[in-house]
Amino acid sequence: MRVSSLLACAALAMTLTSAALAADEAPTLGISIGDPAPMATVKMKNVNGKETSIAEARKAKGTLVVFSCNACPYAKAWESRIVELGNASLKRGVGVIVINSNDPDVNVQDGYDVMKERAKQRKMQYPYVVDATSEVARAFGATRTPEAFLFGADGKLVYHGAIDDNAHEPDKVEARYLQDAVDAVVAGKTVANQETKALGCSIKFRTRS
Amino acid sequence: MLGVLLAMVACGRASTTSKAQGPATEAPALAAVTADQVLQKVREPGAKAVVINVWATWCTPCREEFPDLMQLRREYERRGLRLVLVSADFPDQTEEARRFLTQQGVDFPTFLKTGKDMEFINGLDERWSGALPATFVYDARGALRSFREGRTTHAVMESLVVAAMTPQ
Repeated sequence: MRVSSLLACAALAMTLTSAALAADEAPTLGISIGDPAPMATVKMKNVNGKETSIAEARKAKGTLVVFSCNACPYAKAWESRIVELGNASLKRGVGVIVINSNDPDVNVQDGYDVMKERAKQRKMQYPYVVDATSEVARAFGATRTPEAFLFGADGKLVYHGAIDDNAHEPDKVEARYLQDAVDAVVAGKTVANQETKALGCSIKFRTRS
Repeated sequence: MLGVLLAMVACGRASTTSKAQGPATEAPALAAVTADQVLQKVREPGAKAVVINVWATWCTPCREEFPDLMQLRREYERRGLRLVLVSADFPDQTEEARRFLTQQGVDFPTFLKTGKDMEFINGLDERWSGALPATFVYDARGALRSFREGRTTHAVMESLVVAAMTPQ
């Protein structure tokens, strides 16, 4: 066994505990129910070529922030439902912004030009923006696509999680988590189911320089 | 310090027994499992460490780390490592999943996640956000020793397995 390999194993063993802990802590970072949106004033490039922010997307009754992308099969499976709900929410006084934090160097399908095409095809009436450093996703603690964060009229997080309980078979959805949360926000009521989960593609974070 | 020495010994053995494996025969059909059924695989006797990896054919980092998982299995199976692979592909993608498993030389039973996502995710670990890939490492007593979301390297996976095999 080469000395370098032996040293590498020793170093790994010695850093074992910290490495495992770091991994264990990762999903708990980010914001919690009751927190405001982080990095809300950071400008991100929209598919219309202009820059906008979460703060600019905000409306009187609330703000829906969805981390999504072009390439992930789960994002694709939910895409039409996200667009339908997003466009309808705008009309109900809830601001909407969809953020792509994926590094297009990992998958070219997550590039800006594809985003523009997708927004046009799907008739998105809300901003679909590029998180050019992935720092917005990091600040939210977003880990996958799609992942929704809904803020109430006071700007505090009231719902975090999945779109509904069946990405693959829309006709078999039993729980419309995000729709129910938007309905509650519009009605000024407390969201009953504040945290949900679904499988999804991990966000392809850009490397920090 | 004992743990460090054990890890070094284990790493040393691994490096001398590692070897490439040729193409496998066709991968067995994927059996549908709930989270409870996955955890039963963890509790089956005979393993000194169990790695659960939840993956999907459409998940690029899953595909990237897969050869490392297979290498780890080849290196540590005889020392008691059990690798439990659970595909999160949609039911109509199982043939694609089998093709990928065959390409990767998988000739042992693997599984397909079934049921509601949230029940499956929380059934394995409430800290798991649902992002793929997800890797869980258990010790011989069935206690979860480490959990990771996202792509894991062979070196890190090896260190976590060695730690799980090392008595606390």
